[in-house]
Amino acid sequence: MNNKKHKDCFFCVNQMDVDYKDVRTLRRFVNFYMKILPGDRTGICAWHQRKLTQAIKRARVMALLAPTHK
Amino acid sequence: MSKSKASGPSRYEMLFIVANNYTEEEAKTIVAKVESLVTENGGSIAYREFWGKKKLAYVIKQNHYGYYSLCEFDAEREAIAKLDRTLRLSHEVLRHQIISIKALSDEERAKIKEKQAQSAVKNEKKEEKTGKEKIQKVVAGKNEKAEKDESNKAELKDLDEKLEGILNNAQDLL
Repeated sequence: MNNKKHKDCFFCVNQMDVDYKDVRTLRRFVNFYMKILPGDRTGICAWHQRKLTQAIKRARVMALLAPTHK
Repeated sequence: MSKSKASGPSRYEMLFIVANNYTEEEAKTIVAKVESLVTENGGSIAYREFWGKKKLAYVIKQNHYGYYSLCEFDAEREAIAKLDRTLRLSHEVLRHQIISIKALSDEERAKIKEKQAQSAVKNEKKEEKTGKEKIQKVVAGKNEKAEKDESNKAELKDLDEKLEGILNNAQDLL
């Protein structure tokens, strides 16, 4: 049943920190409806996934990312 | 973060949006005002960045656009609370967010920006590839359609000629 492929963590591979101001990067981890993708879809390690959700929420507060798709 | 830092001033980052009903120069004076507010509360500014006018992802107080400004500073915890309160009462600043960060040197900051730009370029290249494939498909589809239209036109021409011939014959008969 569980044949999800193991992906490499984007932030570990590129040795980047998650930044709420870097909208272009954040944009690839939300779906069409601007929902945050789960960790098994993003392939990000748990530590960075926690940072990512925080960053996306911060970006939403500052109107850098839309909270929903109109 | 190390515990010893908790007593002294620590590094904070503040991003704020100035309302759109000001010109860029007026917005810059407001930014300077906010920054002076930081220094008045005992903070020392380490880095500032003015992003300029940007479209907001959603409307805030009937503003579709806003001037973004970023500011990094060292301050005490009590000062942050004060600053937060005054900014929240301000009509000029639509929204602000103060978060604690670790202090960065200019070199480190440049490196981070470079990396972000690189990953953005990679992402765009991928999108371009998929985009090109899509365009090719669309073009191919259009060509097929055009061919069909031409064949249809040819058939119509034939029909017109036949009709004319029949009509002429009919007139002759009359």
